[in-house]
Amino acid sequence: MRLSGYEALFFWIFALAAIFAGLLTVMARNAVHSALFLISSLVSVAALFVLAGAEFIAGVQILVYVGGVMVLFLFVIMLVNVGAEEKGREEVFNKQKQVAASLIFCFLLVAGVLYAISQGYKAMQARNPTAPELAAVQQAQRDRSLAVGATRTSRITDDTELLGSSLYRYASLPFEIASVLLLVAIIGSVMLARTLKQEASADDVDPETLQEEMALDPELSKLEPRSD
Amino acid sequence: MLNFLIPTLAFLFQQAPEGRLAQTWEAATHPDLAKFLVIGALLFIIGVAGVLTRRNIIVIFMSIELILNAANLNFIAFSRYLQDTGSVNAVAGQIFAVFVIVVAAAEAAIGLGIVIALYRNKETIWVDEIDLLKW
Repeated sequence: MRLSGYEALFFWIFALAAIFAGLLTVMARNAVHSALFLISSLVSVAALFVLAGAEFIAGVQILVYVGGVMVLFLFVIMLVNVGAEEKGREEVFNKQKQVAASLIFCFLLVAGVLYAISQGYKAMQARNPTAPELAAVQQAQRDRSLAVGATRTSRITDDTELLGSSLYRYASLPFEIASVLLLVAIIGSVMLARTLKQEASADDVDPETLQEEMALDPELSKLEPRSD
Repeated sequence: MLNFLIPTLAFLFQQAPEGRLAQTWEAATHPDLAKFLVIGALLFIIGVAGVLTRRNIIVIFMSIELILNAANLNFIAFSRYLQDTGSVNAVAGQIFAVFVIVVAAAEAAIGLGIVIALYRNKETIWVDEIDLLKW
């Protein structure tokens, strides 16, 4: 896998954008700004996915993360908006000693990981030095065998088709487990986010707690538990 | 502009063939698997730093999303590498990435549900004020 020409240029642009947006996500004072920087980081990583030949994952990344998860994040930020952090009254980071210790840990981690990557990649290249050239030739052959698009300037990859067929062929059980996981997540988040009133109307509160809460809030005693 | 720039720079660096600068330029204009892994590692570390240093629980969740995304980048890069070297199942990494995205979405939904329940009871989103289990 070797990118060249414009692909290399775009690789560096999107890689730098992803890393800077990631840094700003962590450093921004306002949580809404953090969310927006995280969106730009995710979009940049989606562009890197396209450069690595995973168009379907890039599309899923933008649809699910940017369209779904980040909108959920923004909703929750609006719901629990404290507003103190943007006015500079609250400290955004932990205590200085904790921050220093965690940054030292992160520095050690990044040094270790980068060393491991360079050593491992060198060893991988030494094991088979002609692999990159061979791979480039094979890639070019595969590209030539692909169908030409309607505009005759590009070719249609069979990447998504391949991904779909192998998702059902090799990973059908994990696929089903993932659907159950999503169902559990939906039901769990609905249960977690209910108010006491909603819980009381579904007759789902401990009777003693309900008595205590009724003393504080007379609105609750007006609610009739549903008969079903 | 790039069509002009690259031959010019390549010509300039030809003056010192096999030099260190030329090698660096060669590596920079042809990003390979190692570059993708380095970007993934940096995003991962940024996410870890966010989890460890921030007080806002929502920003901590966002940092976790960043970490999962860095893992996805590694999966995709290795998937492409295996594709190029003619592996049996060349999109295995992409299948893993799909499942990571599914788990991230489920985690975000549950985590934000917990944040809302917590805010309703404790009126705070600062993690150092949520210390019920501390002794």
